[in-house]
Amino acid sequence: MRIILLLLATALLTACSPPKPPQLQQATLLPSAKPIADFNLINQKGEAFTLDDLKGHWTFAFFGYTHCPDVCPTSLGMLGRVMRRLNENLQPGAMPQGLFVSVDPQRDTPEMLAKYVAYFYPDFIAATGDPAEIHRLTRQLGILYVKSAGDKDNDYLIDHSAAVVLFDPDGRFHALFNVPHDADKIASDFLLIKNYYEASQ
Amino acid sequence: MKRRLSLLLLSLIISLAAADSGLMADGAWVREAPPGASMMAAYLVITNPTDRDARLIGVESPAFAQVMMHKSVTVDGMARMLHQDSIPIPAHGSVALEPGGYHLMMPAPDTRLRAGDEVEFMLHFDDNSSVSVTAVVRKKP
Ligand SMILES: [Cu+2]
Repeated sequence: MRIILLLLATALLTACSPPKPPQLQQATLLPSAKPIADFNLINQKGEAFTLDDLKGHWTFAFFGYTHCPDVCPTSLGMLGRVMRRLNENLQPGAMPQGLFVSVDPQRDTPEMLAKYVAYFYPDFIAATGDPAEIHRLTRQLGILYVKSAGDKDNDYLIDHSAAVVLFDPDGRFHALFNVPHDADKIASDFLLIKNYYEASQ
Repeated sequence: MKRRLSLLLLSLIISLAAADSGLMADGAWVREAPPGASMMAAYLVITNPTDRDARLIGVESPAFAQVMMHKSVTVDGMARMLHQDSIPIPAHGSVALEPGGYHLMMPAPDTRLRAGDEVEFMLHFDDNSSVSVTAVVRKKP
């Protein structure tokens, strides 16, 4: 309800004056949205996943790996709550997509990722692929990841950026959500960002 | 009357269970593993009402082949898990193992644990005491 009022208020304000950048709680907006060079990943169905798949809708993206039992499920569960919250406020066609990019293609297969992400939200998509292609995307976003030693010799952990990236419907890097994440704040920030973007078109 | 008696019995049992150590563990839960996940995490709160600093030095569970002690830290936006040889519990203090911080980390067993299942953990401390705790599997982020 508060979100709807907030939206109404912004809609009214933007109707009478040029749009002002929104006051955000968690998001860091890029000074200007950053175009992304194409990349070639594989989605959870084993199909190509490229820059084109980021276009036409907003996309929340999180980067991690399924062998991560603490931070990654916490973040994906949080993103699932963001999606459920937005579902109460948006038409299905206006919903953002939620994307999990596995930076561990050595262990995470598309089949595994399909089941893994659907657990958190049925419409979540996942992507992984050739290490060079993952890097081609992540280096444009400032997303970092590096293998570190696990408890056993044949095992490894991955240190990785904990931020959530927001792409706009032009497939540009639009905003970043740093930790600690709060699902309600991210959802309301998203609605403000989306409104501002649409008012500025 | 009957209720008071059972309350009395309950507190007796609790004090007996804690008698060998003084250290207490509660609120234990295991995050249900998403399908395909090979690792699981468990969380709990350990309280140390004694006058002496204590350390958790090892954890075992019949439900898991291995229980590791870890800490997630986020430094400059990078999340990492650090292996812990022990976890300190200050005198008259407590330590919370919780998402994004200290946690127990276990390889997922072949038979997938489901929300509502219960598993036992045995916590070993540096004063040679041990405390067992029952953890509930929960579907929770
Ligand atoms: Cu861990």
